Formats: sequence, C-alpha cells, structure tokens
Amino acid sequence: MDKRKRPDPKSLGGDINEQHEKKVLDMIRKNQGMGATTSELKSDKTIPPTLITRLVNSLKKKDLIREVPNMNNKGYKHFIAMEFQTSKELTGGDWYTDGSLDLSKIEDLKTKCVMILERQRHRHRVVTLDVICGYFDKQENLSVDQTKEILKNLILDNEIMEVKSNGLNEFAATRIGELCYKLAGKNSGNGEARAGTSFASMPCGACPSIGLCSPDGVISPGTCVYFQKWLDF
Amino acid sequence: MTTTEYGIVYAVHIITVQFGSVVSKVCEFLLRRGPLSSREISRLVEPDMSYNQVKDILCLLIQHNCVQAFSIEPPDGSESKATVQYIVLCNNILHRVRYNKFSRIVNEELDFKCGAVLDGLLSNGRLTLGQLIERDKDSGKPTGSEEIRESLQKLVADRFVERIPSPEPVLGNKEQELAKKKGSKAAKILKEPETLEERVLEAATPVDAIRFPHIFEQDSNSPLADNDSNIPEGKRKQRDVDSSDHNNEVIWRPNFEEFIRRLRHKACVEIVKERRDEGCAIVLKAMLEVGRSHEKKVKTDKSVPMSLSSIYEEVMKTEAGRTLVLERVEACLDQLSATSSYLPAFVIEMDDSYVVDFKSILSVAQKDEIEAVVMRRYGKEAFRMFRYLSQEGRFVETNKIADAALTEKKDTPQILLKMWKDGYLHMQKLVVTGSYVPFLLWKVNKLIVTKQMLDEMYHASLNLSLRLAHELELEKEVILLSSRERDKKIKAKGLLLSSTRFKLDDAIMIFHDF
Repeated sequence: MDKRKRPDPKSLGGDINEQHEKKVLDMIRKNQGMGATTSELKSDKTIPPTLITRLVNSLKKKDLIREVPNMNNKGYKHFIAMEFQTSKELTGGDWYTDGSLDLSKIEDLKTKCVMILERQRHRHRVVTLDVICGYFDKQENLSVDQTKEILKNLILDNEIMEVKSNGLNEFAATRIGELCYKLAGKNSGNGEARAGTSFASMPCGACPSIGLCSPDGVISPGTCVYFQKWLDF
Repeated sequence: MTTTEYGIVYAVHIITVQFGSVVSKVCEFLLRRGPLSSREISRLVEPDMSYNQVKDILCLLIQHNCVQAFSIEPPDGSESKATVQYIVLCNNILHRVRYNKFSRIVNEELDFKCGAVLDGLLSNGRLTLGQLIERDKDSGKPTGSEEIRESLQKLVADRFVERIPSPEPVLGNKEQELAKKKGSKAAKILKEPETLEERVLEAATPVDAIRFPHIFEQDSNSPLADNDSNIPEGKRKQRDVDSSDHNNEVIWRPNFEEFIRRLRHKACVEIVKERRDEGCAIVLKAMLEVGRSHEKKVKTDKSVPMSLSSIYEEVMKTEAGRTLVLERVEACLDQLSATSSYLPAFVIEMDDSYVVDFKSILSVAQKDEIEAVVMRRYGKEAFRMFRYLSQEGRFVETNKIADAALTEKKDTPQILLKMWKDGYLHMQKLVVTGSYVPFLLWKVNKLIVTKQMLDEMYHASLNLSLRLAHELELEKEVILLSSRERDKKIKAKGLLLSSTRFKLDDAIMIFHDF
C-alpha cells in the first residue's frame, strides 16, 4: 500500500503568507531610506507578530530587503528595501560606509587640502573657501557642506586656520571680509608640544598613570620606566 | 587659587631639601591645617619636638619669609588676649626654586654688584645694611661698604628689595566689622571677600613710602626710623614689634611681588612675539613699561589706558624700537587689537587709548599648554574633541562630538571617559523619557582643568627633583668604576632634569602666579 503523502503545511497558508510578505515589504518601502524596525512592523495588527521574523528572513533571502544597523541607536536594526539608499540618519553621516567611518577617505581628503594650502604658502598667499570648494567639487565630488566639514576637522587638528581677508599682503588677491584658509605654521606645532609647552615634553606630561604615581609608591619617579627611557641617551 | 594637594607636597619637599625634615614637619602642619599658634603646633608635634624647638623653627621660617605671624583683635568687651598665630606663605616657599631667575633679572636690569646684594638677601631671607656689609667683608672679594649701600639703594629704588613687613599685625575682628555695616546698600558695596592670607599680608605691608624709602639714612632721626610719625594712624596699632633690629637698622628682604611682575611681563612679551611678530613684541614691551608703575597688584587683568604718543615715546627709548616709525607702531597696535578665530585680542583700543589685556595673552599660553598635554596623553582624536568642546563652551552630547571630530561613534565614549577620569572634562547624564539609556553630555570647565593641570605640574616638578636626587645617588655608587663617557652621561642627565624643572616652573607661573 502506498503511503499517502501528507499535504505540505506551508502550501495551505501559502497565499496568506504571500499577502503578509507583500504587506511587510510595502511597509518597509513606504519609509524609503529609513525603512522599518521589527517593532514598527509588529505594530501592524493585521499581521501575526510571531510571523514577522520569518517574513523578514524570506524577503532577505529573495534579496528584496537588506538589514542595516542604526548608528545612532545601537541594538536597533532597520530593514530597507533594496531600491532605496540608506538614510544618513541611520549610517551616521556622509562619511560612513556600511556602518563604519571611512577614515582613510577622510585622511586622504585632509592631506589633499593641506597640500593645496602648502603650495600657496610658498607664494605667500591664502586660499579662499570658494577655491577649495571648487577643487573638491570637481576632483572628489564633494558638496560644499562636506568640504566645510573637512576644513573644520583640519582646524580642530590645529593644522590650518580660518582667517578673514583684509585685502592686504597675503590677502591681496581676495575680497575684504572673504573667508580664507592658511596653514597654521610651525609655531602651532599641529598640537605637538611647541617650544613653549614644557609639561607635555616631559614624561609626566604624557603619562597615563600620573594619578597612581607617588614619591614612595610602586610607581614613583625612582622606578618610572618612562623616566628611564627619557634619560637613556 | 587654594593650594592643590601636590602643591602642598611639593612645598614640603622644598623645605625638607633646604632646611631638613624637622622644619618641614612644622611647615606641613601649617599648610594642611591653616594658621596655628605655637602652642597648637607644639601639641601636634610632641614628643618629637619641644616647645622651644617649635619657636626656633617658626623664627627660621619667618626669617626666610615662609611664615607670617599675626593676631586677631578679640571681640569688644572680651577680656581675652589676642593669641599670636602663624600662617604659612606657600607662594614664598615655591619662589625658593626661582631664585636664580630673580637674580638674572637684577643682573640684566641693574648690574652684577646689585645681583650680589640680592643673592645675599635671597640666601639669608632678610638682612640689615650692616649685615650685608659684614657679609661682603667676609667674602673672598669685598666690594666695600659704599658699593653695597649704593647697590641696595638701587634695588630699593627699583622695588626689587623692600623693608620687611610688620612682624605681628593685628587684624580687626571680621564679624564686628560686618555687623557695623548697616543696610543692603552697604552689603552691596563690600568688595569680594579676601582670604585670611590676603588680609594678613595687607595688614602687615607698610605704605609704599615706608616700604620703599627714597631717603636712605640709617640713624634714629632719619625718616626711616621706626617712630610713630612715619606710620599712618591706621597701621600704628598693628606694629607690636619694630620691623628693624635692636640697633634700629632697617631690615630688608627681596620683594617677590616685583620679581613675579617682571617675569609676568617678560612672559607676555614672549607670548606675543611667538604668536604675532617682533614688532608687536617691541610695542607690547613698551606698553608694559609705561603701565608698570600704575599696577596695583601683580595679577592685574588689564593695564591702565595709555595714549599712542606715550607708547611711541617708550618704544623710541629702546635700541630695537628706534627702527620703528609711528605708522609701524600704529600697525602693530592694530594687529594686537585684532580678534580672529584662532587668537583673541591682546590689546583693547578705546577712545584713542590702548589697554593691555593680560588675561587674554596668558590664556593663549595656558590653552596651548593644556592642549599639548591632551594631545600627548590621549592622542589626536581626543585632541580634536577637546578643542571642539573648548570652542563650544557648553555641554555637548557624545554623538554630536563624534560628528564634529569625525571619530568612530563606537570609540568616542571611551576616549571622552578617559579624559573625564583624569579631570580634563566635565560630564553630566541626561535622562530622557522613553529612552532606556541616558545621554552623556560633556564640557570643558576651564577652572577645573586649570587646577588639575597645576596640580600635575607640581607633581611633575616634585618628580624631577626626586629623580635628580636618585640619579645623583646612583652617580655616587658608580663614580669609582666609571669611565669618562659614563661621567659625561650622568652629568647630561642631571642637566636635562634641572633644565626641564626650570622650564616647567615657567609653565607653573603661567597657571598660578601670573
């Protein structure tokens, strides 16, 4: 006697599942670059909450959606339809790729910016914001805001400074009041210990354990390895 | 600023090295517990020291200007007598490591003979003219009493040397003084409350005419003699004991205030030279000369207003300044008055007058020093975050800091926490309804950071001194076996340690004394 094949349980509700899947995909597509989180999907009362995970996995397998972590709210994952670019709010900003900061790209842009200013320094000239924005727009496809972010970062590094033109000397080729940039100069030291900064140039200034150091302690000036290295010449 | 923990430890170390641990023990009690009477000190140190030993130590510390005696007037109607208490002058203890800087000023501004007289006062604390002459006679190459007298006169005229203060001033009872003032108006015009040390020093310091006498006679009929006609009425009752010895000779001591003022001015000129140019530095130096005699206190925020003509006149007196025309001086003043995103104005222009902004100039040096430490200790990313927060001047949330500094959001909290643990950042938690995790907000609080830096610099100075002693001990052990090369190496180490301590002291003065 042939054994009767049991009917496939999935095929019985197959149509219903497809409908639920379509509904989930619509909800995700509706929010475009922001997509939807699991809890947002579960808020729809027409779809059984226990099915959501299975439906989402099915859509992922079919390459219709992808999962993206929320950089600003760790622990939350967003599902985004493949047709849409992930929103900056989720990625963390212009400089994030796949959830990570593109440090090499940022450093590369900063180096290029410094080189532009270095070239002009030899001619005793400053560089205007317009010129820098124009260069990065053409060569790197950066927006004005992105270029300004790079410049702000270099200012924070103390490698360049922002100045307003007075129309004289190095500003001769610029309009009075125009925003310009130039290298900070060797005296600024790029944050390194400059000639006048004495504390940073000795071992205690750089020491991460200064709070644990005491005259008779385990870490003391007599036993300090940093002092030993510093005096070992 | 009250003395930090390592400020106290460092001061005690200085006294221990120069006078021994017995003296430093008394000093430490005064530093940690505040003003005490000799009986109170004696009770604290017994049985290690007798009462007479304590009195001798206090006399020694007074001789070297490290301690000042005083008493407080008992309340009206009270039958109790005023008890003499002793207050330690921590600043004067810390000045002891700067004596060669003070000597250099006098050698440069006056001459080496004046320098030799000053050295006598620095090493002995306080001396009369007679004692200075005796000291000169006992030296290998005496210069003669007339030379000594002339040198002392020059030092007093330039305010490098002063008459010693009143030995035991009596302070008015503060509660009674406050009770006498009636009404809210009187309360409003009361100036900022002084510390006890400030009140004691103010009461002890004689008026300028007595402190820096022009006429230099030494007999009892002279204007200098300690009779009542020389002493203003308000201060007469404070003089329980003469500030002269039993021969009625005036007792002199170095005037640390003037040395610190000169060093402050020198530091400001250096800061301007580095950040602007030589021309601006020459103009600033001239402005400081014009305004110096009008400065009421060392740590003055701003100078008196001065005209372009008075500045130019002073500029012309210097060799370097003679090459500057009036237009160049005006251009330098414009540069000094300019504010930019990276430098504040060093000079304020108002109504055709110019005012030096000391606070602004020194803040630039302090900022550089702090940022250099942040860079070396915590790295470049922390440096960017710290500079961003310093510019913002308010609380900022972690992710916003990460965005501004272009650092990984997941790494930013750790970097900020490291700086916070060491006292370089202020942190606050912000709980928001609906959010399980509180937001962390961060800020640079300049006062807290400055105090932290100062404490660490005292600690570092102490470490340099202890390491030098350690190296010298090692040198003694190896000297019999050492080669010439090794000798050179040990000497070079000693030089590096001493010179670093010398330069670090300049940074300490920027944060504490200037």
